Amino acid sequence: MNKQSVYSVICLFVMFILFSGYILPQKKIKLQFHHFAGAKPLVLGDTIVNPFGEKLVVERFKYYLSNFILTDLSGKKESIPNSYFLVDEADSASKTIELNTSLKKIIAIEFMIGIDSIKNCSGIQTGVLDPMKAMFWTWNTGYVFAKLEGQSSASKSAAHRFTYHVGGFKEGENAIKKIRLALTEQNQPIHVSADINSWFNSRHPIKISESPVCHAPGPLALQLADNYSNMFSILPK
Amino acid sequence: MKQLKIIFFFCLLVMIVSGWINDGFKPHPLKLIVPKGWPAPIYDFKTNPLTQEGFDLGKKLFYDGRLSRDGKFSCGSCHQQFAAFTTMDHSLSHGFNNALTTRNAPALQNLAWQKTFMADGGITHLDLQPLAPITAENEMAETIENVINKLKSDKDYRKLFKAAFGNDTINTQRMGKALSQFMVLLVSSNSKYDRVMRGEDQFILPERLGYEIFNKKCINCHPAPFFTDFNFRNVGLAVDDVLNDLGRMRVTRQSKDSLLFKVPSLRNVAVTAPYGHDGRFFSLINVFEHYRKNMVLGPTTDSLLKNRMPLTNYEIGQLRAFLNTLTDSAFLRDSRFSESGGNNKPPTNHVH
Repeated sequence: MNKQSVYSVICLFVMFILFSGYILPQKKIKLQFHHFAGAKPLVLGDTIVNPFGEKLVVERFKYYLSNFILTDLSGKKESIPNSYFLVDEADSASKTIELNTSLKKIIAIEFMIGIDSIKNCSGIQTGVLDPMKAMFWTWNTGYVFAKLEGQSSASKSAAHRFTYHVGGFKEGENAIKKIRLALTEQNQPIHVSADINSWFNSRHPIKISESPVCHAPGPLALQLADNYSNMFSILPK
Repeated sequence: MKQLKIIFFFCLLVMIVSGWINDGFKPHPLKLIVPKGWPAPIYDFKTNPLTQEGFDLGKKLFYDGRLSRDGKFSCGSCHQQFAAFTTMDHSLSHGFNNALTTRNAPALQNLAWQKTFMADGGITHLDLQPLAPITAENEMAETIENVINKLKSDKDYRKLFKAAFGNDTINTQRMGKALSQFMVLLVSSNSKYDRVMRGEDQFILPERLGYEIFNKKCINCHPAPFFTDFNFRNVGLAVDDVLNDLGRMRVTRQSKDSLLFKVPSLRNVAVTAPYGHDGRFFSLINVFEHYRKNMVLGPTTDSLLKNRMPLTNYEIGQLRAFLNTLTDSAFLRDSRFSESGGNNKPPTNHVH
């Protein structure tokens, strides 16, 4: 091999290393979340009525989505590494999620509502998982997976507040929910709706008048998680 | 040919320069020396390698009142070195706005060997532990966000974070890691008991007799080298009707865990009064009286204590003599850990 070809091989190799990230085929999947209370768009601060006729004002609605897995037409699955998102009604930017994938025709999106036990158990995390986001129980290690809170005249709790903080990853109190949404078309962005009415009336009827507060893992958190696991659906275009 | 050569040398230059930039970060590594005969630590040093710079930052954070809402409460205000990092002479500690804590401040020692933290074991990682007192309304009463913002706006902290972690990013994770670096080096392993076990000293008669009684009556729950088995047990303290503290059950929600609390270490026990999870016992004599007479027996009382613990006055006297040998005065006075002891020498463990 002459000198020139040695240089060109080394050069190509170095450039490949430097630019490999850009060369591999990548597609962006965009999900846009829309929050509803029944048929009406959810507006923080507005008085609404839940399925039991209880009046309420939602002040905070946020939840973690993680561990995304995409499936293409041929059935091939791709796990999206480090896919952790905190969707917050108060932060419109957080309601759009982008995923990088090498798959072409996506027919299903799977994800967790909540945070896997590994991230719950390995010290302090950064980014959206930073405990600074106030989605973490400091006294009983673990993430709050989802929060719905506000005021309701039906609540007998202090200041007529209702506060649903749902979490729990240990055996017997595991509130992690796996969701699968099937896609029928390939339009982007994919519009996903989340209906807070599911929190109250889905698998379990949960009335603010009876259970206004959930601040720990346990039976009520499990019931709320069962309920909100039905809150997502794909919006027709 | 010439162009290729130029591109090649350019690539080489980029690689060398990027390597040189990274090389600017050279913290001084520290090592936790495991005392002879002790098990390997549980704390994961791979994800948080100990360095002098990390330790120094952790110590500054530990003694910084700005971690609390009104600036008055540092970690060190309730964890005083001379009391083995408990609150001297306080059943419960004072927090923000004249509030009291609901439990007795635990000693901070040998934390690298602990799997869970708090009397109920609710916290499962040392890095996460400081977030509980920082955010508790009756302790430091601050939000993590405010703490991080205060640190970010301080030039000294930006320098210290850079020295410890390579750049001046300040976040919760780095704060927790730095505090852990300080806390894991709080190793107490040089009491008279340790010297005797190493053959460097001898028990006097009451200490030796106390040690024998200890090995018969106490060792099941308080085994060496930590003088705790780190388990949760109900030792018959009646529920306080104000605190209504159910202990381990708060975390597990299982009735079998009602009134179970973590067995405390007896290292430095002579300086960590008051005793009990809510500090209800003001002296060791109260504790012995509790075990032999006052224990409340219930469905979750520890099986080893179903008949309480018969102790004679003689035994109590000898046990006290032995327990005093667990005081590690070198640890209590070690200037590396004190607020003012600002020598810049790298800490070295006193391991013989």
